[in-house]
Amino acid sequence: MRFFDNKNVNQQMPQKEAQMQMLKWIWSVGVNVLSRIWNTVKTFFSLHYCPSRVAKVLLAIVPFVLLLGTYIHFSNKRHEENPRDKILPTISQMYEQVKIYVVETDKRTDKNLFVDDTLASLKRLLIGVSIASVLSLIWGLSMGIYPWVRSTWMPFVTFVSIIPPLAILPIIFIGLGVEELGKISLIVLGITFLMTRDLKIAVENIPREQIVKALTLGASSWAIVYRIIFPQVMPRFIEMIRVYLSPAWLFLIAAEAIASKNGLAYRIFLSRRYLNMSLIIPIVFWITSIGFLMNFILKKILDWKYRWYVDIKNG
Amino acid sequence: MRKMLLTLTAMILATIFAGSVMAKTTYKVAWSHYTGWEPWAQTEQAGTLKKWGDKYGITIELSPPMDYMESINLYTAGNYDACVMTNMDALTVPASGGKDSTVVIVGDYSDGNDAIVSYSGTSVADLRGRDIFGVELSVSHYLVARALAMNGMSEADLGAFVNTSDSEIAGLFVANRTPQTTVVTWNPIVMKIRQERGAKVLFTSAQIPGEILDLLVVRTDAPEELKKALTGAWYETMAVMSGKGAPTKEALTFMAKTAGGTLAEFEAQLKTTYMYYTPKAAVEFTASATLAKTMEFVRTFCFDKGMFGPTAKSKDEVGIELPDGSVMGDKRNVKLRFTTKYMQMAADGKL
Amino acid sequence: MSAAREENHVIYCLDMVKAYGANVVLDDIDFKVSRGEFVTVVGPSGCGKSTMLRLILGQERHTSGTMLIDGREIYHPDVTRGIVFQRYSLFPHLTAMENVMIGKLFTATCLELLGSMETSRDEAMYYLKKVGLEDDAKKKPHQLSGGQQQRVAIAQALIMKPEILMMDEPYGALDPYTREDLQMFILEVWEETGMTIFFVTHDLEEAVFLGSRVVAFSQYYSDGRHGLKHGARIVSDYDLGRSIKSTEVKKSPAFSDLIHRIRHESFEPKFCQSVKAFNQTHPDSFMTLTEEQGAVAAEVVESI
Repeated sequence: MRFFDNKNVNQQMPQKEAQMQMLKWIWSVGVNVLSRIWNTVKTFFSLHYCPSRVAKVLLAIVPFVLLLGTYIHFSNKRHEENPRDKILPTISQMYEQVKIYVVETDKRTDKNLFVDDTLASLKRLLIGVSIASVLSLIWGLSMGIYPWVRSTWMPFVTFVSIIPPLAILPIIFIGLGVEELGKISLIVLGITFLMTRDLKIAVENIPREQIVKALTLGASSWAIVYRIIFPQVMPRFIEMIRVYLSPAWLFLIAAEAIASKNGLAYRIFLSRRYLNMSLIIPIVFWITSIGFLMNFILKKILDWKYRWYVDIKNG
Repeated sequence: MRKMLLTLTAMILATIFAGSVMAKTTYKVAWSHYTGWEPWAQTEQAGTLKKWGDKYGITIELSPPMDYMESINLYTAGNYDACVMTNMDALTVPASGGKDSTVVIVGDYSDGNDAIVSYSGTSVADLRGRDIFGVELSVSHYLVARALAMNGMSEADLGAFVNTSDSEIAGLFVANRTPQTTVVTWNPIVMKIRQERGAKVLFTSAQIPGEILDLLVVRTDAPEELKKALTGAWYETMAVMSGKGAPTKEALTFMAKTAGGTLAEFEAQLKTTYMYYTPKAAVEFTASATLAKTMEFVRTFCFDKGMFGPTAKSKDEVGIELPDGSVMGDKRNVKLRFTTKYMQMAADGKL
Repeated sequence: MSAAREENHVIYCLDMVKAYGANVVLDDIDFKVSRGEFVTVVGPSGCGKSTMLRLILGQERHTSGTMLIDGREIYHPDVTRGIVFQRYSLFPHLTAMENVMIGKLFTATCLELLGSMETSRDEAMYYLKKVGLEDDAKKKPHQLSGGQQQRVAIAQALIMKPEILMMDEPYGALDPYTREDLQMFILEVWEETGMTIFFVTHDLEEAVFLGSRVVAFSQYYSDGRHGLKHGARIVSDYDLGRSIKSTEVKKSPAFSDLIHRIRHESFEPKFCQSVKAFNQTHPDSFMTLTEEQGAVAAEVVESI
């Protein structure tokens, strides 16, 4: 600005030259701005870009907005052609359906279906995961510690853990029934062997030095297990549960699809009978939220009870 | 160079243009395994489908056998032009989903193919308090509801209806030999489990004849050529099936194989399937008053179960057009149309 | 030699061999250590000095020959031999205080556990103070620096009052300043407690500075068995006296001369001295050779 003013005022340049100067000035400002924008864009797409907190949040929202936008676009398109379309229901259609599901009481069973389904599914999932956890903890720890247990069971566990439980589903249901026992057993069978195998590896990953050290401090075998190995395996175990919650959900859904009278997946498969996507989509969203919350809670437990583990892991 | 480019462009354009003119429009038909629908495999295998397609200048492509619900869903989504299904599912999935559908062929009704089987009891009254394993909200469920209604009972008199995948019902019945075990299902599962020691059939679809219908549904806005070609092909196959000679035997053997069983098994299943082998018989049934009565039962059941969706105010939500032009339910929302038009043409030999 | 005569020796090995299958790691080791000695052990990589440590610790068993700790055969690690590793000495899930205290809890009987919690705590605090970490008692190991961690590990071992304190390259991961700091610290501990220390290191300067006795293992020697791969032996053994040195010593020419010599005798693959020529000046050092070995060795010396 000053540059322009000075020349104009002090030297009394002819009109044309002043205009030229002004054009030059505008040009240089333009180039400057453009190159700044260009640099910003370049940095953004480079691997040197350090997003601020706000930018992180904004960037994280983008895929969700894209997903929602895409859905709404195609939903609207289908509803323009057919206002009663069931495949991609509109938000308001889903709202109506959810209202009935969540608020109203079922006439026949006199229960709130939403609460009933959620509790039924959670009960199966939590009991299944708990049993699998306890079994794999005992089994995995023993395999990690005692050579004779390892030699006896490791090949078996490795072999069995590869069997896809869904493939032998009829055997499970015929052997154990389709009631709660059968459903919970499917979850247990589905994840116990894998968790056992991982736990054994977790025990083996505890440095040999720790055991030797404990022995030189006079520890008995039992003390080594419950004072040294167990507390160190616990955080990895919690992480393992986080990982195996996903397959547990998968097996729960499979179990409820086969035979059930309640549960979230049951509701999904029942709704499929008349293509009621306006209920299926919200339930899927609900299941996702529950899974997300469980993951979050386990992460918080890890942060709170096993700070040392999290800190070491994060360096 | 320029000239060469021009020539090339012209050639390409010509090819595309010629191609679009020469290619016949292809229509896709979805089907799934069931006694009354196995003839579709025969129409394709015997070249009947191609023959009738050629006659009307179209190509008809039959899907590989699909999962039943998936085939209906895909038809409703618009991926297929026609699909086989029962009258109940035609009402609750495509019609209530706003997909205007026409029943071109009424092929058969279940005359014992669906049944309630248990290890104890003699009548429907014995079902009181029991859990029933079956596919909920399917024709099986409808069968149970009708059985109860005919005996002055309702679902409240049952224990629970346990939604069970049809693939697991047989195994479940065989594995749980308690007197209380009760399942409701369709063929070929019924055939298999009723042979179990102590198995008792408490109710079958033979007691509600003409209520569980197996249909060919075509989207209403599909061209006449498709509807006519499919009808023509179907009744040509029906004629072969109901004959007496070697071609009949050959066709039945093929269908039995496709269905995954023996000829004897397939013939046994045909006995509990009331096939309308002639278009005349099909027209007679479709035009009769029975159809309206049946559809009234069906739509009442469906509405009670919430199958018309959350916004449905009454069972009149979806309009059903009958062959005489009368409409059950909402006249402004007619989405399921029964017609004798094409079957009549077949009967008259005008296809 | 009778066991009675060896009573004063904390460690006593005679013709001891350690082999993994056909692979001989330690070959015919003759070695004894008097009580209160600060033994530093050096040698090239793969010379078996860590194997030696594990044998004394009881983590592994020797293949043949004799090995006695305090006149006894040993089979497992136990409270008579404390250990400080380069890493993983501390339990990551316990605080510094708990790490020091845990040995007391392990060895207490149930009744003692009820009564002596406070005593153990006080004792642990005493050792934490000794290593200068009383303010960090509540920290977990990962919150401590490398040097602090090793101090806690030493306190953890000391509280059990072991016969021998074993240290396996304990300062290998520390920066030079912290290392020197901890060198002075361990010397203070040694002076105060008078315990026997078996200190394995790959740092010659550290070995010569700390040890009252420097032992060098090496696989580079000749006993006439041409072409045969043999295990390591003690190739030199120096008596450096039990007086505490100041860090100034490190600058003296004698100090660097000795380092130079040990490097030459133990670390140089090309320098294959005869078993007969080993430089074993420490009064405790001895070597028993079979007649055959002796004869062959003599031959070799002549040929050189």
